[in-house]
Amino acid sequence: MAKTPEEILEEARKLIGTETKPVPMRYPVEYDPIRRYCHMNDDTNPLFLDPEYAKKTKYGEVICPPLFIGIAGGSGPWPPPKENAPTLPPVPTPGDRSINLTTEWEFFKPVKVGDRLWSKSRIADVYILSIRLDPQAFWTLTERIITNQDNEVVAIGRNLGLKHRTPEQIKAAGGQKEAPVWYATKFTGKM
Amino acid sequence: MVRNQIHWEDVKVGDEIPSLSYDIDWRRIVAQVSGSQDFYPVHYDRDFAKSGGHAEIFINTGFTQSLFSRLLTDWVGDEGWLCKLRMEMRRMNRFGDTVVLKGKVTDKYLKDGKHYVELDVWAENAREGITTPSKATVTLPSRG
Repeated sequence: MAKTPEEILEEARKLIGTETKPVPMRYPVEYDPIRRYCHMNDDTNPLFLDPEYAKKTKYGEVICPPLFIGIAGGSGPWPPPKENAPTLPPVPTPGDRSINLTTEWEFFKPVKVGDRLWSKSRIADVYILSIRLDPQAFWTLTERIITNQDNEVVAIGRNLGLKHRTPEQIKAAGGQKEAPVWYATKFTGKM
Repeated sequence: MVRNQIHWEDVKVGDEIPSLSYDIDWRRIVAQVSGSQDFYPVHYDRDFAKSGGHAEIFINTGFTQSLFSRLLTDWVGDEGWLCKLRMEMRRMNRFGDTVVLKGKVTDKYLKDGKHYVELDVWAENAREGITTPSKATVTLPSRG
């Protein structure tokens, strides 16, 4: 018999507080991923794109757009995941469709081309809260601390996202069911 | 090349910052995947999005963040700094929408020798109104 969302939540909440070791990002910060990042929103800021221009600024080198930091070490097919890779464990959820809701980033130091970054992540909260698509959507709050080669914190990010079920999955689970009020109460004040 | 630089003394509470506008067409959808490296299909595959209960594909978090990043880094210039951005994605910016980024100064103050400006920034589209109410803190250079 399939587990109920409440039973899955009980398992998921045992992961709160789990954190990784600092994980090195795959490569140093490079020019071309920054260029592609800038191209997606037509950003022609020479501070992010032109090494000759950047050399004459207080930074002395191309820096990355601040919000680039969060995706600088994004996932991909290589290198393959290792069994002992220090990544956060997957949070068990009844649904497998994701939506991000709120992100918050603080930036403390510029990140320049050539910098090496490390990312440390933590599961801060998991709870159920109703959304239009799923009355028992699972919300997860995670935190990331990004450091550089000098062990300086360059940025801290927090992300609140949810996983929901498809209409077919909800139907298979017996249809719509409202989430208990206390889950919604716990949401108050988060992020 | 010398770029225009805004200073803290130039700014008044209530000032609006220059806006940006983006048509969410197929070219932009492709660019968002390339630039953000977010391959989750709800952001480019209509059948996948609809099977999850969505009416249409919608833009991803990394791309949305990048729009605010550009809005604010364009404004603060080379000498300014984006300290903090809190972005709330409350409604969708879908394929076919024109997404407009705007911002307004809500406070300015001096703290620990730095010249801070607080802003309300947001994304909006004609279908939903404000979709992404957000807040930013920046520092600007001072003429003093």
